Amino acid sequence: MIAGSDKELRLLDKTVYEFARKQLAPSREENDLFPYGPFFNSTLEKAFEADFFHTILPERLSGMGHGISAFCILLENICREDSSLAGIIFTNSVSQEIMLLAESENLLEKIITAANTVKDFLIAFPVFNNPTERNPLLSAEKSDESYFLSGSIEYLVLGSIANYALLPAKLSEIIGYSFFLIELSDKGVQKSEPVQSLGLHSCPAIDIKLENVKGQLVGKKGKGNVYFEKMSDRMHVAAAAMSAGIMKGSFKEAFEYSRKRFQGGREIINWSEMKMIQANMALKEKISEMIVSRACHAVDNKEPGWEESSRAAALHVQEMACNLTTDGIQALGGVGYMKDYGQEKRFRDAKHIQALLGIVPLRKIKYIEKKMK
Amino acid sequence: MISRSELKKLIQREPKFDDIMCSLQMGPKIPKAMIGETKKVVAIARKFNDEVVSPYVLELDSKMHEDPEFLPWDFVEQANKWGFYTMWIPKIFGGKGYNFPSLSYFLEEIGSVCLSMANLIGVHYLGFATLTATWHTPIIKKLCNDVAQGEKNGLPCLISLATTEPDAGTDVEEVELLDKGSVTCHAKRVNYGYLVNGSKVFISNGHISQWHILIAYSNLEKASENAVVLAVKSGNKGFSFGRQEHKMGQKGCPASELIFKDCFISDEYVCLDSNQLSKGKQKRSNKELFMQVLDSVLAVSRAGVGAFGTGAARGAFEQAVKFALETEVDGKLMINFEWVQCVLAEMYKNVIVSRLTYVESNYANCLYGFYKILQKKVVFYSLKFTPIFLIKKFISPLLEKPLATSFFRKIQMDMLKDEAMHRTSGWASLSKFTTTDAGVKNCQMALEIMGQAGLRHDKRTEKLLRDAKLLQIYEGTNQLNRLNVFKCLIAGKNPKVVMFEE
Repeated sequence: MIAGSDKELRLLDKTVYEFARKQLAPSREENDLFPYGPFFNSTLEKAFEADFFHTILPERLSGMGHGISAFCILLENICREDSSLAGIIFTNSVSQEIMLLAESENLLEKIITAANTVKDFLIAFPVFNNPTERNPLLSAEKSDESYFLSGSIEYLVLGSIANYALLPAKLSEIIGYSFFLIELSDKGVQKSEPVQSLGLHSCPAIDIKLENVKGQLVGKKGKGNVYFEKMSDRMHVAAAAMSAGIMKGSFKEAFEYSRKRFQGGREIINWSEMKMIQANMALKEKISEMIVSRACHAVDNKEPGWEESSRAAALHVQEMACNLTTDGIQALGGVGYMKDYGQEKRFRDAKHIQALLGIVPLRKIKYIEKKMK
Repeated sequence: MISRSELKKLIQREPKFDDIMCSLQMGPKIPKAMIGETKKVVAIARKFNDEVVSPYVLELDSKMHEDPEFLPWDFVEQANKWGFYTMWIPKIFGGKGYNFPSLSYFLEEIGSVCLSMANLIGVHYLGFATLTATWHTPIIKKLCNDVAQGEKNGLPCLISLATTEPDAGTDVEEVELLDKGSVTCHAKRVNYGYLVNGSKVFISNGHISQWHILIAYSNLEKASENAVVLAVKSGNKGFSFGRQEHKMGQKGCPASELIFKDCFISDEYVCLDSNQLSKGKQKRSNKELFMQVLDSVLAVSRAGVGAFGTGAARGAFEQAVKFALETEVDGKLMINFEWVQCVLAEMYKNVIVSRLTYVESNYANCLYGFYKILQKKVVFYSLKFTPIFLIKKFISPLLEKPLATSFFRKIQMDMLKDEAMHRTSGWASLSKFTTTDAGVKNCQMALEIMGQAGLRHDKRTEKLLRDAKLLQIYEGTNQLNRLNVFKCLIAGKNPKVVMFEE
């Protein structure tokens, strides 16, 4: 993401990268052990104190009031070293974005104002799923003025560390689904252990079962899909920024390693095939940077077709990241596969992030179907 | 229409008929019983998958996440109980003598469920193949006897290959790079043996093997001309294990550091000394001999990795089909969408094409490789139907004699044509990079279709991707294997071609 001439964005760019380098990189291997190792509570708190979680919130909600460009700069720089923290910030922001689109600002404000620690602030969400793609959804029943949710949800991201969750559920006799906010401490909530996953180990997800758990309706009944799609339009470019950050980190590590490692009597970068591999990585990294910057500009300035730009950026850059990180391991040979280096984690995280906001082929189908309307 | 001389000339033109038609040539020569034997091997593999691999695969992987130092002794013992460590050792060396090509089909089957466990068994045969490629029959007999004993007494005896060094990965697999590289595992000639100092890294099965076929060098400045192959037993004075690597995948197969500090190996366990060998009447130089040994091993082992890659591609394909059959989108079954059917067809193609390459590589080895003698019908059927007690009484004792070593080295090394070596080596490399790229590709495609479900460990697919990536790296990176294909099958004798310069 190119910060350009905007001073605030350039400062943010530098600050976040320093944080990633100093706070995330040294303990990356240790943090990746979760759930078989400790959770990185202190790093999370530091990120919260640095206002990373407030980047995209409007000023009236104690946010920084920056547009999507700032948010992308934040996520990209974090992902250069450890995408798990970016996953947490992204998921929470998705929940907040939906609540704002659903005009439930008062509800969101209560959560933000009451938050003393980062965990009080977080709202869990099944961010790897588009609710229309999966059946069955939770069911919601109205009783007096309250709603009660039952059923099960797989892979609720931040479910083990957040106080709240924003969940899609089906009200009987209402077409479409609705969003509800629940408290995860409700006695009707059964939580699983953190789900062992491919990547983003420290951005934990759990499965939950609900039995008559009280929920607050967020937005209008049956309009869940509208809010989700509008949120997706904006947040796709943020997912692209995460992938672009991983690409930056992977290329940097591969390039530096290949200039130091000797095989056949010379630095491996001086073999022409390695030059070609590194060149392809460098090109992908540069192109992704340009794509994300352009898409952010389109989103922030509400250019015609900005929604398409945001989605196209994500679909393309995420795929490039999966390919680049494969080469990122390959360039380091055997050590690239080992956990003491950052490349294998970037490979896993790139693939993991590709699944954000729904199944890739279905997102592509949706993209062309929108053009058909 | 065409004269004999014209025919000969035309089929020698690129692509050479013999290079591209191994399966056609091998067809009529295949002992018919090999087919039945191979079917049996596939059936045994599937049963082993059902009863042992599939129920344990996720548990083992989780255990390794939790404790990266864990060693899978339970599984090692299970595979021993099922007789897998002797299954492909020829009867003359005390094994069960199943045909060597059938090992590939076995590895594909196991690999489609768990590459760790497939690799654990496969790597034992990498050690065995390296040992055999030296043709030192008394040592081969001794080690194989230990493996057979281990099966009888329930104490598994595995053989590993120790070649990679901290500063020499790619370099140790190609003699043209070896002397430019930086190997440090020194075997100093002393009275009655060698004194070894140095270390080896990323050695598959290191911590769980009892014998290690170690490639060291008596002169580190000119390593390619001074290679020494030694059989080192675990527990040998001066030999210890260092760290166990923390890998992204294939966690159930340990990757070990081996440390040698004034480790004495007696002449009794010197499998091959390229200096001593070339003083005999071998027609090749030290360097060429050593490359020949490497090539004959890699021609077999890379075909084995070809089977792993096919297994990975197949496992991913099967998971994707399962998911598409169980999942609804917009109220319709996913598998009924054309785009899904096309993706699955593409994945299926990757599996089939991969399998074809390792099968063709196997045929090349049957015709020209170091186990070709076992594929001759007369030898195959003789060994198959000769009772074990007769083999032990009349053939095995002959293997103790130096004459047996000379005989095998004469026919397997000296009489081997360069063309034949290039064919087997080139096909193995082709299979290796084709199938492993396909394996990783299929895993990525499966995860794309599965979305959120694919990210979960309990759905098995993310583990396949983590495991599959290593296939593109070991047994020579895919880049090195491409260069080997160029060297062996494309460059020919063109005087303008120079390898390993740019």
